[in-house]
Amino acid sequence: MQNFFSLILEPLKGVYAEFADFFPNLLAMFIIIFLGIVAARIVRAVVLKLLKAVNFDSWSDRMGFTTIMRKGDLWAKPSAAVGSFLFWLLIIVVFMAGFGALKIRAIDDLVSQCVLYLPRVLSAVLIVVVGYIVTGFIGRAILIFMVNRGYHFAKLLVEAVRLLLIVLFVAMALEQLQVAPRIVVSAFSIIFGGIVLALAIAFGVGGIEAAKKVIEKETVEKKDEKNDDIEHI
Amino acid sequence: MTMDSIISRKEVHDQLEKIKTADILVGIPSYNNARTIGHVVRAVQAGIAKYFPERKAVLVDSDGGSSDGTIEIVQKTTLEDFQSILFHHRIEPVFKMAIPYHGVPGKGSAFRTLFEIADALNVKACAVVDSDLRSITPEWIELLLKPVLEEGFDYVAPLYQRHKYDGTITNSIIYPLTRALYGKRVRQPIGGDFGFSGRLAKFYLTKDVWKTDVARYGIDIWMTTTAVANNFKVAQSFLGAKIHDPKDPGADLSEMLYQVVGAAFDLMETYPDSWKAARGSEPVTTFGFQYTVGLEHVKVNVERMVTIFREGIKGLREIWIDVLGAGDFGQIEELGSLPDLKFRFPLSLWTRVVYDYALAYHTKKLPRGHLLKSLTPLYLGKTASFVMETENMRQDEAEDEIEKLCAEFESIKEHLINGWK
Amino acid sequence: MADFYQTGIITTLHRLGKPSLERLESELMEHSKARPVTLVLPALYSEFEGQAMPRIVEELARVKYLQGIALVLGRASDKEFRKAKDSLSAIPYEVKIIHNEGRRIHEIYETIRRNGLNPGEDGKGRSVWLAYGYVLAAGKSYAIALHDCDILTYSREMLARLCYPVINSNLDYVFCKGFYSRVTNKMHGRVTRLLVTPLVRSIQNLIGEHLFLKFIDSFRYPLAGEFCMTTDMARVNRIPWDWGLEVGSLAEVYRNYSPRRVCQVDIAETYEHKHQALSAEDPEKGLMKMTVDICKSIFRTLASEGVMFSEGFFKSLSVSYLRQAEDTIVKYEADAAINGLEFDRHEEAKAVESFTKALSLGAQVFMENPMGTPLIPNWNRVTSAIPGILEMLKKAVDEDNK
Repeated sequence: MQNFFSLILEPLKGVYAEFADFFPNLLAMFIIIFLGIVAARIVRAVVLKLLKAVNFDSWSDRMGFTTIMRKGDLWAKPSAAVGSFLFWLLIIVVFMAGFGALKIRAIDDLVSQCVLYLPRVLSAVLIVVVGYIVTGFIGRAILIFMVNRGYHFAKLLVEAVRLLLIVLFVAMALEQLQVAPRIVVSAFSIIFGGIVLALAIAFGVGGIEAAKKVIEKETVEKKDEKNDDIEHI
Repeated sequence: MTMDSIISRKEVHDQLEKIKTADILVGIPSYNNARTIGHVVRAVQAGIAKYFPERKAVLVDSDGGSSDGTIEIVQKTTLEDFQSILFHHRIEPVFKMAIPYHGVPGKGSAFRTLFEIADALNVKACAVVDSDLRSITPEWIELLLKPVLEEGFDYVAPLYQRHKYDGTITNSIIYPLTRALYGKRVRQPIGGDFGFSGRLAKFYLTKDVWKTDVARYGIDIWMTTTAVANNFKVAQSFLGAKIHDPKDPGADLSEMLYQVVGAAFDLMETYPDSWKAARGSEPVTTFGFQYTVGLEHVKVNVERMVTIFREGIKGLREIWIDVLGAGDFGQIEELGSLPDLKFRFPLSLWTRVVYDYALAYHTKKLPRGHLLKSLTPLYLGKTASFVMETENMRQDEAEDEIEKLCAEFESIKEHLINGWK
Repeated sequence: MADFYQTGIITTLHRLGKPSLERLESELMEHSKARPVTLVLPALYSEFEGQAMPRIVEELARVKYLQGIALVLGRASDKEFRKAKDSLSAIPYEVKIIHNEGRRIHEIYETIRRNGLNPGEDGKGRSVWLAYGYVLAAGKSYAIALHDCDILTYSREMLARLCYPVINSNLDYVFCKGFYSRVTNKMHGRVTRLLVTPLVRSIQNLIGEHLFLKFIDSFRYPLAGEFCMTTDMARVNRIPWDWGLEVGSLAEVYRNYSPRRVCQVDIAETYEHKHQALSAEDPEKGLMKMTVDICKSIFRTLASEGVMFSEGFFKSLSVSYLRQAEDTIVKYEADAAINGLEFDRHEEAKAVESFTKALSLGAQVFMENPMGTPLIPNWNRVTSAIPGILEMLKKAVDEDNK
């Protein structure tokens, strides 16, 4: 009979012992998270007050940051957006710290992987942002250049260039994020090469006559330009 | 005197020690002008000899590193035949200095060298002339220096007789703009050949612009605007026709607009109080006997200009709406839809275009290079319109049209002032 | 039948002969290619449940020369906004509804306020001003036309006649106001008949000729809510957000443009609409506020032109106005009699008494605070303070309409 009770009690004792071992960690996790949330809210409130005192919203309106937010369909006040961003950043940190307190290897590994992945996310965001700016800049420069030379299809050409650049930067960002990298690289090569090939075929085969006319027109115009005696300055 | 000042160089310092002081300085900025600089040097020497025989004079060639023997030609060139310039008295020799300048490559750095030498020699009056001038005569030296030496002026701008189609950037942008802004009717503010006092040269040296675009290409407009905005006494002298080596025909018009108009807009940032306060404009004293010069016919491809203007409406629509606003862009579109024969760019619309571009430049709506280059089709449209309007007009009648444009710039100046924050 | 008398210093375009709507609309289609026009409609949600709106929508669906419609919807929840959107779906060209109470537009007002500019209180003036901003942001229009959404007798001929003088590049007016006779079985438009016109003429009696007064007096119906103007005007005009909206807008037109480029056009044989705003409130109070605001608007404009006001002046003005108004009642009584219209002389006299009281009150308010101005800053001012504001506004409206 004693053995029978031992058979039942032993595993329960084991579970209890494990739970007793684990419970402080669990408690620590909840305390860390709770205190962390409180701290995050305090930080958010302080930051909001500070930003209000320095008229951050007004400054942001004049500098154009508010416009950028609105373009992204974000309609919160700029200070509220900053406050929210800081709040959620702190919450992520707090949760990571909280999970760390559990001292469960699998969770620790997961947290480490998330932390290690963050720089990739940041660099992908940076690539997209830089890509957006560069695409806009290059597109506009080419457009102005072509229009000033009187090219009729300037806009079309610029859209093609923009598309190529967007494809390039998106592929770079996806590659950073390690999202199916082999597929992304192949897809990029296909799309990019495809666009270039399509342009070449359209121009070379479909547009032989048009290309001839454009080249002839350019040659005539170059002659005309030389004949233009006007001194602008 | 800074470490990179030309005076600190030994060979220059030695020459200046020899000369000690001078009354007048004539400067020629040069770069690979071996073909033309000899004539310019002789004209300058003749001018000094004929009109300022008792004055101690220095001729300075400020060179940008010529490799075609420009400096040697300057040093060798003398005026042998005094009889032909109707002068028989003994004259003081003209000191000559031919020195490579330092600093950012460009005409501005060349001029800085001249200002420094003028300052070191305590010169009373200076003149600068281009090194590729074919139409320069000794009289130019008198006309640029005498108003400074004898009439008390600080700055003498040139006044050329030009073909009605030449100088359209000056005629349609720079002259009306600077006249309306600063209130002085300096007809050719970026002429290239100027006279100025030693006092003004010293003042120029106090400005820290020698590492900026002023040093590269904006020196002409900078000199004129600085003199006017700082209340120096300004005059202009009629020099006749300006014939010089044609500029590189491949020179990009957009780049020219970027440089010239950009320089003018930059100066608005430097002197906002001055231009906001000026109301209307007054004529400047003009020296020289004005005569009509027979000018060569100038061919203009108006159709191409109008075509580029129309392409601009299609291709640069978003930029132009952003800069000019929907109302004025609407008028631009209407203009583009007119048949070529009826193509006339309204003066008030063009004025608002220039002012709106100045405002967009000020608020950095776009990268400045893109902004100013996007002005090119509009400028070509205006030029085409002007060419067609004045086709059958005489020179003086065409000048009246420019006068109307200037009046428009002056009357709509409020638009610029109100928008400038 | 109209006459062809030219009133005052602006141009009056009459309804003469039998004007053809087809010809008018076909010409408008041509002209609008170079001078596109957007129609701005200030509306409350309650008007969508009224009798006038369905007819207006039906007529507008048949208009072919409009660039688009920008309707500013006030006093509507999100659900009501979507219902309003659905009821305008019959219109085949671009219709954007500006949801005045939406969170995006609310944020736009907040943005403007925190940069030191006051877009004023909720009302027709502010709504209309916001719509101007959207039209400017869209950047596609040469002109803006505006009319109310409670016109029971609406026909698209009204819109055509309103737009024509501004869109037609041969005529080239910058501002065109509609006029009409508000007659059913009796004469309506008491504020115009018994306040504005006699007031303007009384002031003229006291101070002599003044161009602004001549300008206002030239309009046959200065309080009409229907007009068409160039979008340039939408940039520079400052709009009052109170009841002085119509008169204040005319004052801005007077300030910024020459009377030679201003006209009025007879837009309807008959015109009837509901005065929901006035009848919903205590009529005494509503009329009082309107009178005070109109008076303030006139005094402020005259003061800015250098006219001096004093206690003595206002005392004389009250007396002079009362006299003018009483004479006017007699004239209208005769007009009503010959045309067989109902005319309640007692009601007319009571209205004049109220207007006189309100005039004194208006004078008092003005004297206490002559600079107290309910003018919304013009869009040039707003965009120079907040460079991206128009872009933000356009984004807000476009997102709301998705």
